[in-house]
Amino acid sequence: MQFRLEKRREPSKVMLYATPVAAVLLTMIVGAIIFSAIGYDGVGAVREIFLTPLTNSFKWQDLGVKAAPLIIIGVGLSIAYRANVWNIGAEGQYIMGGLAATWVALSTHGMGGWWTLPLMMLAGVLGGAAYAAIPALLRTRLNVNEILTSLMLTYASVQLIYYLVRAPWKDPMGMGFPQTKRFAAEALLPNIFPGTIVHAGVPIAIIVALVAWFIMSRSVFGYQMRVVGAAPHAARYGGFSENKTIWLALLVSGGLAGMAGMLEVAGPFQRMVPGFPTNYGFTAIIVAFLGRLNPLGVIFAGIVMAITFVGGEVAQTTIGLSSSATGVFQAMMLFFLLAGDILVRYRLKRVAPQEARA
Amino acid sequence: MTLTRRSMLKAGVAAAALPLLGSKAFAQSEPLKVGFVLIGTVNDNGWNFGHSEGAKYMKAELGDLVAEPTIVENVPEGPDCERVLRELAQSGHKLIFATSFGYGDYVIKVAQQFPDVKFEHATGYQRSDNVATYNARFYEGRAVCGTVAGHMSKTGKAGYIGSFPIPEVVMGINAFVLAARKINPEFTITPVYISTWNDPAKEADAARAMIDQGIDIVAQHTDGPAALQVVEERGAVGGFGQGADMSAFAPNAQLTSIIDHWGPTYVESAQAVIDGTWASADRWPGLKEGEVQIGPYGPTVPEDVAAAAEAVKNGQIDGSLHIFTGPINDHTGVERVAAGVTLTDAELLSMDWYVEGVIPPA
Repeated sequence: MQFRLEKRREPSKVMLYATPVAAVLLTMIVGAIIFSAIGYDGVGAVREIFLTPLTNSFKWQDLGVKAAPLIIIGVGLSIAYRANVWNIGAEGQYIMGGLAATWVALSTHGMGGWWTLPLMMLAGVLGGAAYAAIPALLRTRLNVNEILTSLMLTYASVQLIYYLVRAPWKDPMGMGFPQTKRFAAEALLPNIFPGTIVHAGVPIAIIVALVAWFIMSRSVFGYQMRVVGAAPHAARYGGFSENKTIWLALLVSGGLAGMAGMLEVAGPFQRMVPGFPTNYGFTAIIVAFLGRLNPLGVIFAGIVMAITFVGGEVAQTTIGLSSSATGVFQAMMLFFLLAGDILVRYRLKRVAPQEARA
Repeated sequence: MTLTRRSMLKAGVAAAALPLLGSKAFAQSEPLKVGFVLIGTVNDNGWNFGHSEGAKYMKAELGDLVAEPTIVENVPEGPDCERVLRELAQSGHKLIFATSFGYGDYVIKVAQQFPDVKFEHATGYQRSDNVATYNARFYEGRAVCGTVAGHMSKTGKAGYIGSFPIPEVVMGINAFVLAARKINPEFTITPVYISTWNDPAKEADAARAMIDQGIDIVAQHTDGPAALQVVEERGAVGGFGQGADMSAFAPNAQLTSIIDHWGPTYVESAQAVIDGTWASADRWPGLKEGEVQIGPYGPTVPEDVAAAAEAVKNGQIDGSLHIFTGPINDHTGVERVAAGVTLTDAELLSMDWYVEGVIPPA
């Protein structure tokens, strides 16, 4: 018996939005079975990873803080991916945003004011956008694939952190540890709720997603992005410049990644350290797809990813599940999502053996 | 779930009430819950493995007085560790060991929110009422390794894979080369910093680059056996197990190993918490107390070399030898420690200069 994939004429709208949910549910079910089969408390693992972060109100602040950068970067990536511009280097743009903001914080140290944070935000966005401009320039001028350039620039940016925190920006009081000094109070994000760790970046993430959703669905810019991605030829007839779209897609996604970098360094980190790159830029790629490249979906997806991170730690402390299990669950989720996507767009058709050509 | 304003407010209120909850959730008669935060995985066969062995030792020694220890692995040195520390404190752990240098800021921060939880930070320097620091005199072990290296190196060149140039690491490099130069005055050491405690690929790459440059001894202050495996494969003279005996990975290349034996420290701390006598302090035991141990010597180490190494070990145990006793010159040849003077612990813990024989990284 053989099967063949046959393209559906029109993918079901309902299924398109049901697959991410189904992927999460399937991950929970299959995860429970697999972990039970290899001798762990599978049901307990799923409960601790996926449910405890939601039912335990202490964990909500962690979810918000962890989800915020994923949402902001994921929103930017979803806009770029809509236009078929494959920015894989959000991690690097996030780092450059963080570094640009750090530069502002350090150079205004001790003489800052209310304007410090807005200036850091501006620097962060510009830093991320400027770094994304390199792949944009190479793609539009020299037709170099942006997947490669944006990814490789990430590694360069990591080395730049190492250089800066080891020499020019090293904290003189840090016992030789490569890190900058702690930012002054004016350069730190305020906490929204006293007594929690929820910083201003959390509501900003929600606002960014809402604004992006509005722009993508209601403005000419959004229409351009979508039409260039979905039907490049039609877009060209319609007078949309492909190069302009590539520039916009990279600048917007890079700028948002830079904004996330600024919020992270001024929020949870409070200083630049070598451990600043935490793979938010890469995880946000999963978030963008899990959110169906829709800014509102990205909010949901960012929270789901945050749940698996926070829940993974809960599972380690409560039932002693190894940290690798978190990675297994995240990978399963992406696997089911992509598999579901195939089945939404294609139908599995049984082919009788005699019909099949060798 | 979306984060509505209401749910955020609830989170705020709930979290504000946190410190109050901690004391009620724990009754005196229950076994003490002890948490360990690790930067890598317990099966790294090095640093993290050493701490997990210490946790097991504590459980075995104290039996029912302590609960099965909670070990959280792969916790990065950043805001993620703050969350893990808080998670442990909230779930009733009354004694928490944070075992990597970069956790420092976050330990202090979380400790303020949980005054009835005791925190101990390995290799750190920041303390408060409920934060103690502890470390081991690894430099004593490195002096033993340096002695072996001085005897056995053919090229007189060693490499040293480090994470960050913090005093803890610089001190180890210096102790190693001081001991080696007592045997071979021309001995040099080249440190390479890879900006991480645990990345087998980077550790292996560094070892390969060193061997390509004529280095035949690869020492390390990173967590796993990857570099030793490269040394074994390339047939260089050897290297040293870090944190644990790594001979299973490099039976010929491991000349000896520094074994961390944290167990007794963990027993002591847990017992003090149970007895209510715990107080913030800084502890720094070494070879003498058995917290730092020297593993078996490898098959390629001649008996006279092993004997010389043992003499250095025993000298440090009985106090007749301190590797940081002058005269000591810095790497530019300027005398930093006069003859007969020994560096104090405070000077060691803020060491930011290299001794003669170190070729500083650019």
